[in-house]
Amino acid sequence: MHLLQRLKKGLHPQKSRSKGHSNYAYTTARVRAMKSKLLPRETYPRLMNMEINQITRFIQEVEYKEDVDELAMTYSGVDLIEHALNRNLAVTFTKILSISEGELNYLISEYLKKYDIWNIKTILRGKYCGASTDEILEAVVSAGRLRYTFLSELAAKPTYEDVIEALSTSEYYSILKEYNGENLSGIENLLDKKYYDDLFQAIGDPKSKDKKLFNKFIRTDIDLKNLVTLFRLKKYGIKDPSMSDLLIEGGLKLKIKEIERMLPLSFEDFLTEIENTPYWEEISDCCSPKMDSLIYVETRLKKLRLKSAESFSHVYPLSIVPIMDYILSKENEVSNLRIIIRGKAVGLSDEEIKNQLVI
Amino acid sequence: MAVESAAVMDPAGLKAIGAGLAVGLTGIASGIAEKDIGSAAVGAMAENEALFGKGLILTVIPETIVIFGLVVALLIS
Repeated sequence: MHLLQRLKKGLHPQKSRSKGHSNYAYTTARVRAMKSKLLPRETYPRLMNMEINQITRFIQEVEYKEDVDELAMTYSGVDLIEHALNRNLAVTFTKILSISEGELNYLISEYLKKYDIWNIKTILRGKYCGASTDEILEAVVSAGRLRYTFLSELAAKPTYEDVIEALSTSEYYSILKEYNGENLSGIENLLDKKYYDDLFQAIGDPKSKDKKLFNKFIRTDIDLKNLVTLFRLKKYGIKDPSMSDLLIEGGLKLKIKEIERMLPLSFEDFLTEIENTPYWEEISDCCSPKMDSLIYVETRLKKLRLKSAESFSHVYPLSIVPIMDYILSKENEVSNLRIIIRGKAVGLSDEEIKNQLVI
Repeated sequence: MAVESAAVMDPAGLKAIGAGLAVGLTGIASGIAEKDIGSAAVGAMAENEALFGKGLILTVIPETIVIFGLVVALLIS
């Protein structure tokens, strides 16, 4: 097998992206075992009936024990849970990176670069609105390549220029150096586009079926992101064609030209147009021209995302897709827990919290 | 003369080669088959120790291949 692979590499050295032997069997089996430890969906209604202290105790009894124990000295109440959730997310994803090898590790680390971008965005946003270091660190999730110590140093820098200077050796510098203190949203869009470009470059021209599936997975992700952006734009009546900057190219079923065509439409026309897309079936019952809030649609799209990831993961059990499925499910668990605790902290009703949950 | 002696081989020798191939090749085959199952079982066990029993059983299932090889080898020789 290896000999064959080496022979193939020898023939096409420039096309080869494999960096050593990948341990798909080990990683996917371990990740599936990790997935079985995620909170079952029956837990959320129970959590809704608890007070914040009870929720802290509850998550301390499950997978978040270490995180809560470690942070209990510094934080308390909602902040403690928030930090514990972020820390757990970072630890879990770093663990997946450390147990995977070769090409698999490379692809996962490319995927997890979204956290690097998220953290850079968070820090720049924090500097933009003059948030304190602690406030910034509350939203930092060091699950990518940038370590927490480095990120906390960045967050402690006094101005955005210092932050960008500290990132001068990173791959994002070419984009970040254009930041002038005003054009934050433009820089954020460019960072997002770079992320997807890099990811597609890492996948390359997919030859094997599992790579094709991964490609499809990423492109579905882009479709759903574009759809959410479109819904938000249309809902608030923004028809400016320059908003196409917010859209990401490379979607699976919604081509960028089709989406650009929808940009100048009104909300009603947009809904009629979207009926022809394959995603309509999932969201048809919660979409109407008179809808007040987009929460239902966004929750439904997130659910669709999770459902499609799960069904993808069964197609090729020994591929990167089951790992992506786990990453999404874990992110969703953390986001659900955060919705519950933040909702309870600001005194939202159970019904409102329930509407936001993606179960 | 030399050609004739090369053509006629001792059947016991051929049997021994056959038996060796039967065990050797099936051994390699089980090894390849067990490689991924074993590593997957260890991965699952690292997260959940209760899977040890199941993992062990699944790992040794391809062992049947080499057992068949051994049986064939014994039948030949």
